[in-house]
Amino acid sequence: MRESIDEPVSVVFYYDAKAHHVQPYQVTWQNQDYRLGKIDYWHKTKQGNKLIHHFSIADVDENMYFKLGLDTETLHWKLEEFMTK
Amino acid sequence: MSKMSNIYHPQPIRPLVDYSLCKAKPYIMHIDLNSCFATIEAQANRLIRNRPIGVAAYDTPRGFVIAANYIAKAKGVKLGVNVAEARQLAPGIVIMTPDPAKYRDAHQKFKQLLLEYTDDVHPKSIDEFVLNFAGSPALRESRFKNSDFRITMQNIALEIKEKIKERLGEAVTVNVGIGPNRFLAKYAAGFNKPDGLTLIDSDNLLDFYKNQDLVDLPGINVRYRRRLFMAGIATPLEFLAADRWVLQKQVFKSIVGYYWYLRLRGYEIDAAESKRGSIGHQYALSNKTADVDELKKLLIKLCEKTGRRLRKNELYAQGIHLYLGFAQAQNGSPRTKFDGQAITNAEYQRPNYHDRDELPASFENIHRLRAWKMGMKVDCRLNSTGDIYRAACHLLDRAVIYDKVKLISVTVFNLQPWDPEQLELFEESRSLRAGRRVSQAMDSVNNRYGEFVVTPASMMDMSGTILDRIAFGQVRDM
Repeated sequence: MRESIDEPVSVVFYYDAKAHHVQPYQVTWQNQDYRLGKIDYWHKTKQGNKLIHHFSIADVDENMYFKLGLDTETLHWKLEEFMTK
Repeated sequence: MSKMSNIYHPQPIRPLVDYSLCKAKPYIMHIDLNSCFATIEAQANRLIRNRPIGVAAYDTPRGFVIAANYIAKAKGVKLGVNVAEARQLAPGIVIMTPDPAKYRDAHQKFKQLLLEYTDDVHPKSIDEFVLNFAGSPALRESRFKNSDFRITMQNIALEIKEKIKERLGEAVTVNVGIGPNRFLAKYAAGFNKPDGLTLIDSDNLLDFYKNQDLVDLPGINVRYRRRLFMAGIATPLEFLAADRWVLQKQVFKSIVGYYWYLRLRGYEIDAAESKRGSIGHQYALSNKTADVDELKKLLIKLCEKTGRRLRKNELYAQGIHLYLGFAQAQNGSPRTKFDGQAITNAEYQRPNYHDRDELPASFENIHRLRAWKMGMKVDCRLNSTGDIYRAACHLLDRAVIYDKVKLISVTVFNLQPWDPEQLELFEESRSLRAGRRVSQAMDSVNNRYGEFVVTPASMMDMSGTILDRIAFGQVRDM
């Protein structure tokens, strides 16, 4: 079941200038690290003037699904949704 | 629909009868994102890709499924079944509530991609686009160009399909239909689902009309089918063969019959874009109620959403319509009016239960006891939320509430552009402008800080109700 939450999380994120590619690499949630796989869907929303990037992504083992939100005003990450297999 | 080959037939069957088919090149492409909401959800979450998926307005047992993927459809989950039924039909189905922002984003990415091929791109809904390639430079590009125009069009369609996978994701598939007019392009898009590509033109049109039901034709519903049956027309081929005057005078009894005569042959008559006639919002109540105060709280939020869209488009309205849909009464339970009195048999039989004298005939209550609706034209310009709300309350105060309300809808019509503004001399217009300025100020704050940051006081505690949704049909405010 997909659960909607709104919880701050730690994210390791990199940018590859050659490939023009961004990638959340690892998320730490509830004291557990998850290595993340390929971004499955990326979209943006606006809350007023505030731009938020949403990354829908599964861990490399494909046991967990996460929807991560990056607030571009504060550069804070939130876990917006998760789902276990 | 039966499976048909999507490859152009080199030796088409020549008709023995001259149907006067349109010989125009198939310039029109109809692209339909397969099971849009469910497909986007499957793309976003790879854990559920091989499972049945249903997107439901609410994930409660009585919420309705508004989209299902092909796995769920194969198990009998159709649009409109409720969540409890869907779970029975497809055990293990993943039920999700809609994520409109994601679908709007997919629509925009989809549109941006299509604009790279032709500038004549018309969104028909969140998941359907019509492209006209007449005059498009894409037709002359060497990677597509072929001596056979039909193959050129199919090459373009194949590249679009590939690019959709690149930009939206590998789980996203589309059905492409190509034809000489919008109708045939849409009809073609209905074959070979999912991920189909079908071209229909005058050479193979008859093949595609064979062995099909009338309701397989886009725009022919069961009522039209009944009318056609009455005239002895039972199949698409018989429909094609029907005389123009039979269609116009006997079946459709209007010019619509002639339109069908042309449409079926591939002549374009659906290209005119309709002008926006109304803006409205509706809400299906999770807690059905007959309490007018509760309904007014919902009404203010619907009016605020309607007003926001009016102001964003710099329009005002000169008419408003209110619709209340009632929960079905249980068998044997007495129907009561809002004041608790039982509805008498005589009242039940009356064609229009409310006072008809106040209403224009066109807005009379037609769904007796299942719904109540009323519309009115107004002299003032409806633009601010307050004005729309007052007009809606004026209608609600006249409503005869037979039962608990399950659906409430507000629509404003007779839309006019605000600019240039016609200034008035009288005091009334000052208050109108003041109301508009208050709404504009609120809009500015909400544009800066997010929707519903500043709201009318009567909208307090409403943040969890009337959620963002995507309308079926045309998408003008994306």
